[in-house]
Amino acid sequence: MTSSAYVAGQGQAGARSARRLERRRLLFWLLPPVAWFTVFMLIPYGMLLYTSLGHVDDMRFIPGFSFDNFIRVFTVDPYLGVIIKSARIGVMTAILSAIVAYPLAFYIAFHVRSARAKFLLYLLVIVPWWASYLVKAYAWKTILGSGGILNATLQGIGLTDGPVRLFLYNEFSVVLTLTYIFTPFAVLSIYAQLERIPTSLIEAARNLGADGWTIFRRIILPISVPGMVAGAIITFSLAFGDFVAPVLVGGPDSVMISNVVINLLGVAFDWPMAAAIGVVIIALGLLLISASGWLEEKTQTRF
Amino acid sequence: MTTGIELKNLRKMYESHGHAAWAVDGVDMTIGAGKFVTLLGPSGCGKTTTLRMIAGLEIPTSGQILRDGMDITDQPVTDRDMRMVFQDFALFPNMTVEENVAFGLRVRRMKGSISESEIRKRVAQFLDLVHLADHGQKKPHQLSGGQKQRVSLARALVTDPKVVLFDEPLGSLDANLRKIMQIELIRLHRELGKTFIYVTHDQDEAMAMSDAIAVMSGGKVAQFGAPREIYDRPVNRYVASFIGHAHIVDAEVDGRESGELTLRLRNGERVALPHQNTTAGVGSPVGLMLRAEDLTFADQAPGAIGGRIADSLYRGEYIEYVVELHGGAGVVHVHSRTDTPLVRHGASVALKVNPAKAHVLVH
Repeated sequence: MTSSAYVAGQGQAGARSARRLERRRLLFWLLPPVAWFTVFMLIPYGMLLYTSLGHVDDMRFIPGFSFDNFIRVFTVDPYLGVIIKSARIGVMTAILSAIVAYPLAFYIAFHVRSARAKFLLYLLVIVPWWASYLVKAYAWKTILGSGGILNATLQGIGLTDGPVRLFLYNEFSVVLTLTYIFTPFAVLSIYAQLERIPTSLIEAARNLGADGWTIFRRIILPISVPGMVAGAIITFSLAFGDFVAPVLVGGPDSVMISNVVINLLGVAFDWPMAAAIGVVIIALGLLLISASGWLEEKTQTRF
Repeated sequence: MTTGIELKNLRKMYESHGHAAWAVDGVDMTIGAGKFVTLLGPSGCGKTTTLRMIAGLEIPTSGQILRDGMDITDQPVTDRDMRMVFQDFALFPNMTVEENVAFGLRVRRMKGSISESEIRKRVAQFLDLVHLADHGQKKPHQLSGGQKQRVSLARALVTDPKVVLFDEPLGSLDANLRKIMQIELIRLHRELGKTFIYVTHDQDEAMAMSDAIAVMSGGKVAQFGAPREIYDRPVNRYVASFIGHAHIVDAEVDGRESGELTLRLRNGERVALPHQNTTAGVGSPVGLMLRAEDLTFADQAPGAIGGRIADSLYRGEYIEYVVELHGGAGVVHVHSRTDTPLVRHGASVALKVNPAKAHVLVH
């Protein structure tokens, strides 16, 4: 009786100290992520929100607690209109990227047999990213411009008499440039999804008498939807927040929301307004990400 | 006339890194219509490649595949009307069980030969056949391994093919489920009367289910015959050791008289065997195949082989003794009934060979 109680008591003491040790260890391992989160997320977002609630008077920031800036985002021209236009450019870029990326991803996933060739093509998709973004945007300027390659070719083969000015400095050239720049992301995410499809699925379908088109429509396409969604989200987000392409290849009317923010910060010195737009965009972004997460989950095929 | 499937000198070469190898190296075989035929062998023996060539998923390097006398070597896979059951099930993960089973029928419906209501009827009928009537609306990932394989079976059978091909279909299931599925497959074969061509590396599975087994090795068929024939009269040491764990003792032909063959073991002991149709002449080296169930302990009697108990293993159904023959002549296993007294480890024993079952291997 006494001896068993003694042993039990000892066991409890041991458990307690082990638990204490565990707690200390947990604290130790939690500290870095919590610190990272605080420094890089909590404080910047807090500052952004704090700034957006104040206002500027005589070039000086006056803290406050006012939603005026947010009301202005939705009521004063051109903010809401620019956000909508940026979103439109983003959506067009996302759709175009998916359309351009799909055949390439499909080709790499199903028609390239050797691992080395696959890697090489994969590399070729990524390689443009080794060149500066600016260089690539400028390249489109020289392609689409009135003295550019496209116009020179068209005139050379006699399709047009003079340079066509429709190619550059409008929404079309912005979308084209952004599509070119961001398509690799769409390729990679669609490819990653297509890679998951085992060859035996395609063999089984052929064995059951299905032709290539049926296999694509009934099996490959439905399984690849989440990859397209993921790719579209990335390309949309990158295009939506872009400010270089509108400046380089965009026209006077193709100002995007990031350009507006830059102007508010650097020219108008209206930091609170810029911050308010930032908060609105982040909120929209969160909405978009949760919606797309839901859509990806909904369309994801479980193997 | 139904002659089934004929393979004529079928060969397949694979090339990798500039180095070519024959995966299948001259397979000749006739698979009768309605038979259950198994291609058996270790991995890399060419059994799966042979099956895939029959299905049309691989193109033979040379040779011919005939079906009911017609050359189908160059017929596209989609036109072959042979359905395959894959080891990884290969169910379409984006479709329900019903949609999976209906897939082959819907493909045909586009060619206008079957109505949607007929499809529904047949799908229900075949899901019932594999005991999955209540699972039609589930997605494949919600099913267990055994259920997935049943769906795969139903999907293959629903289109009423004459030939069903199986590529290690039970390979990823656990032992108990495998036994249940074996019985299920035998039942389906009996009920549907289709030709089943089955690939496995599991000799028990092959023995239990097949009308005929082709034991394969190095891209060739080592022996093709009924399970009993292969078990009792393997043509060479490879087949003998692959099927049923036979032990082979080296010997030499000592004499042959009117059908009776006398062998001399390496330790000088002699074994007399009647009814042996071997071509081996006196003095030539042979292998004596001894299966554990064909050896019994005997009193010191003429014609018995002497040995020493090296190990005993209690197997539940029987006791397995490992017996080292005297003079290093070899090792054999003996199965003994569990109601007999245990023979002591290290004890000297005499073994009597069942003359009807002993088999002499020339190769």
